[in-house]
Amino acid sequence: MRILKIMLRTYIVGALLMLGLTFPVTAFAGLPIDTVRGHSDKVLEVLRDPSLKPESAKQLRKDKLRAISEKMFDFTELSKRTLAQNWKNLNPGQQQEFVELFKTLLGDTYADKILSYTDEKIVFNKEVSLTEKTVEVHSTVMRKTAEVPIIYRVILKDGVWRVYDVVVEGVSLTNNYRTQFREILSNKPPESLLETLRKKVGKSEQGSKK
Amino acid sequence: MKTLTIMIVFPLLLLSLVTICPAASSTEESVPVPEAAVQSPGSQVPGNLHEQDGTSGGAATKNEVKAPVDEPIDDNEMTGEEGPRIADPFAPTNRIMFEVNDRLYFWILKPVTQAYAHIPEDFRVVFSNIYDNLKAPGRAINNLLQLRLKGAGNELLRFVINSFVGVGGMGDAARDAFGIKKQEADFGQTLGRYGFDHGFYLVWPVLGPSSLRDTVGRAGDHFLHPLTYVHHEDLSTTASVGISVHERVNDASFRMGDYESFKEAAIDPYTAMRDAFVQHRKKKVQESLQD
Repeated sequence: MRILKIMLRTYIVGALLMLGLTFPVTAFAGLPIDTVRGHSDKVLEVLRDPSLKPESAKQLRKDKLRAISEKMFDFTELSKRTLAQNWKNLNPGQQQEFVELFKTLLGDTYADKILSYTDEKIVFNKEVSLTEKTVEVHSTVMRKTAEVPIIYRVILKDGVWRVYDVVVEGVSLTNNYRTQFREILSNKPPESLLETLRKKVGKSEQGSKK
Repeated sequence: MKTLTIMIVFPLLLLSLVTICPAASSTEESVPVPEAAVQSPGSQVPGNLHEQDGTSGGAATKNEVKAPVDEPIDDNEMTGEEGPRIADPFAPTNRIMFEVNDRLYFWILKPVTQAYAHIPEDFRVVFSNIYDNLKAPGRAINNLLQLRLKGAGNELLRFVINSFVGVGGMGDAARDAFGIKKQEADFGQTLGRYGFDHGFYLVWPVLGPSSLRDTVGRAGDHFLHPLTYVHHEDLSTTASVGISVHERVNDASFRMGDYESFKEAAIDPYTAMRDAFVQHRKKKVQESLQD
């Protein structure tokens, strides 16, 4: 009986020691859920700011949102995961341009969509770890007649948690774009995909200036 | 004696901890998240059993919880992350239907909804509650068929409470006063749970994206809707169509701008919609299996 007690104690001490060894690395980066919540709060702040509401302040608001999304998202990781096997079919120059174009497209449209729930409450529920360096942050947007579950997938790189995928109602952003890009790349060269993106981004840029 | 035991037992335990459960120790301890460990069993259910192709989608990432974690994450080849797919043999006609629905939205539904949205939100919420309450019996039965007994019981309770206390479902008293949450369940999902595949993708005029399975599901849900059993003399066809239209418009009034931003974000809206449909439905089936 006494041996059992000692064993138990040593086991706990051992476990704590193990924990102590791994803890500081991740503790330094903070909790993923806090990181995402922090960014989300900042975005809501911008969206709710009355001085940024008028049409004339649209560009300023956009710039502010872009600055936040730059910190919030890992666009390179997001691009890689979206193109998956096709990523290596792009040369480094094309890869770089793709990341930039995709960033603009998402910044202008998708981010706007996710975060357009301005007057609804957003609740951050929990974290679910996927791998050592990837975690899912689960949140719920309380709309008037429905609750929309939004999951942020974040990755730890250089001590910072950044979003590499957003899953709304089970629909993963990267999976959704991957399907679209795959259809284009199945019978056209990467250059043609970039051209499509350039047009798309150019159009939405124009649209926003109107 | 004591120190000796510690000296022997401690390294052994440490060793066993490292060797026996490397995955467990690194996933649960490297990320100091209490909920992480609790949630993982649920997400380990292989959810792609009943979907179109074997390659895993969002489930793949979730299933990685139990996999060894020493995968090179920075590696460019995210080959295991293929999303679910669906056969689309009628793509040409589906694309036409998609276009038709697109026009219907911009020409009819949107302007009508914009005008309708002048009705104060509180009233629209009441309508939304009434329509939702009518679907509770269907949800209860589907939950039951899916062996989600708690969900079935909750939906039954919700229907009773909201019909009586909420006066015909005008308020969600079950949620607000009793804390009983809605548990979505539909017949397409029930079929999916029991291994039925989508078959193929279908876009219906007005109704939108669906599949062979979910079309059958929709028909099934129709028979679980109370209004289906109201006698024709009491509710004419015109009236029941009118009700459906109102329900649709009322519903749309809460999501104004959603379709526009979806379209703006998409490279190919047709493919984007189809993929969103498959991913969303896959999640529904997974949820059912995980419960």
